[in-house]
Amino acid sequence: MNPEPFLQLDRVIHEKGRLAIMSMLAASPELSFTELRDALGMTDGNLTTHIRTLQEAGYVSVTKSFQHKRPLTTCSLTPARQKAFTNYINLLEEIIQQAKAK
Amino acid sequence: MESNWAAEHLHVIRTLMERSAVYRRALAPIMIFNGVLGTAAAVVGILMRIGEPRSFTVFWAAVSMIALVGSLLLVRRQALKESEPFWSPPTRRITQAMLPPLAAGLIIGIVAYVEVASAPQNVGNVMGMLWLPLSWVVLYGCAFHAAGFFMPRGTKVFGWIFILGGCGLFAVGIPDSIGRVHYAHGIMGGFFGILHLAYGIYLYFTEQRRNEL
Repeated sequence: MNPEPFLQLDRVIHEKGRLAIMSMLAASPELSFTELRDALGMTDGNLTTHIRTLQEAGYVSVTKSFQHKRPLTTCSLTPARQKAFTNYINLLEEIIQQAKAK
Repeated sequence: MESNWAAEHLHVIRTLMERSAVYRRALAPIMIFNGVLGTAAAVVGILMRIGEPRSFTVFWAAVSMIALVGSLLLVRRQALKESEPFWSPPTRRITQAMLPPLAAGLIIGIVAYVEVASAPQNVGNVMGMLWLPLSWVVLYGCAFHAAGFFMPRGTKVFGWIFILGGCGLFAVGIPDSIGRVHYAHGIMGGFFGILHLAYGIYLYFTEQRRNEL
């Protein structure tokens, strides 16, 4: 098997929790912190850590606002990294195709 | 080995992407509210003998406005409770999906209201008492079916029941044994009342809480 696609996988989004966050955000323009937390069954602390890592790597942008006097944190994928996530999925498909071709 | 891992990852990604796009507000209270409203409105319509096509149109247009406002308030209450935006991306998608058939139903209602006054009585009766409610039923089914692409699976089935039920009753026509007023309000009460109520009760016992996976 050609190891190249496997070596190209981005470590930042390859981690299970961050990959789940990226998957959710890839299908929706934006999601609130509570929506992500509840859908993924993560703790507040765990989700905050993963979002911070993704934010520092430029994958996710975080917006903090107030709605009805309550804080609202929303996350979305940055446009540049949306492409990176698509590439990640393509790489996975390539790995599967290579295995089938063997 | 690596391909198995990649396939599993892809499966998880796709599942999560689908879940992210699905509307997750609890539908049971909305359905029960609309079911009670529709059933009560049908009873009122029959008891008050709202039998003229134009008054029938106005009466049910008013009921649908109450249903719409009530449903939006219930959705808003859920959003507030969860500290989430009311006009969320899934809500926008649902609205966009439902809008064309619902708009068509509104336009047909307006046209019927305007045209039925100048139509011969027998034509007016058929328009107002058979053609109009069944058009609304079928279009409402189309709206729900379209929304079903972003909602739990049962929503599409619910839409199909309206579409097939409405078309089936079109084929049957108004039975001689039933008065046209009773028949028209019965259609509205049956579809927009009892069916919603039944689906709402079903959802109440089966719907996953939105916080659950």
